[in-house]
Amino acid sequence: MVSRKTILIVVFLVTISPIFGVILSEAVGYHEPLDIVAELLGLEDRTEDTNWTPLLDYTFPGLPDTVGYIVAGLIGVTIVLVLGHFLTEILVRKNV
Amino acid sequence: MHIPDGFLDVTVATLTYAISIVFAIYAFRRVSSSGSRDRLATASVLAAVIFAAQMLNWPLPGGTSLHFVGGALAGVVLGPWLGFISMFLVILVQCLVFHDGGITALGANLLNMAIIDVFSGYYLYRIFPDRYKAVGAFLGGWIGITLAGIACGVELGVSSQLPYGLSITVPVMGWWHFLLGVIEGAITSSAVVYILRRSPHILDTRR
Repeated sequence: MVSRKTILIVVFLVTISPIFGVILSEAVGYHEPLDIVAELLGLEDRTEDTNWTPLLDYTFPGLPDTVGYIVAGLIGVTIVLVLGHFLTEILVRKNV
Repeated sequence: MHIPDGFLDVTVATLTYAISIVFAIYAFRRVSSSGSRDRLATASVLAAVIFAAQMLNWPLPGGTSLHFVGGALAGVVLGPWLGFISMFLVILVQCLVFHDGGITALGANLLNMAIIDVFSGYYLYRIFPDRYKAVGAFLGGWIGITLAGIACGVELGVSSQLPYGLSITVPVMGWWHFLLGVIEGAITSSAVVYILRRSPHILDTRR
């Protein structure tokens, strides 16, 4: 089972994450280094055309970036734990 | 470190997918026959913690950023096979749910962060005797991410998508991860020292 302490650590990390992932990022004008390379080469950014997820780049539709980043983070953590749980069940059962 | 879509050519994308799929099948079988429910549960929880930690993206003036990757930490804490599974969960969710790392580059991203980083981190840590485990974890985190960065440089350099060859991509990716990797090493070492003091049983990778 997930200990209370671990949950606190994860919630704490996700809650402060927009400070780094959104606020400081905007403050220093951050762009992915590979995106800059693509721009230099004159390649077209087709992320929006090929995108399949409403949670692109840790955003949540309709929410400001900072809050969206936290919500996206919590969704991500939950999906990781649920997938991990299913994988555990499958792998352990196969063993029996 | 997360390669987006469009940077790898078909050959590199296919080859890295093939390596990661074969590796994943082998890892799942191995864990299935030897892993306990407890260890697998620990792997999922560590995956959740690493996922959250990776969201703390430190942008650096000059256009790059730094975030903890955690592959070496997963290898040290869980052993290489469960460590792979932990990182597999993180990278899969990042790719499929958040489009962080391209779907065509998923094989390469798994190879770099869930295989190379995890295994090199684990084996570097292992060669150090008990009293120097903090140093082992530091070097594991540092060298693990540097090797992953070099692998990333090789994949980008070999791909015909980018006009830059290996002579540019490998030194750039390698050096950059070597410099910033000191911090990965420091975080990995602090986390391992903390776990060794508080609950050393978690680090028993023989189970």
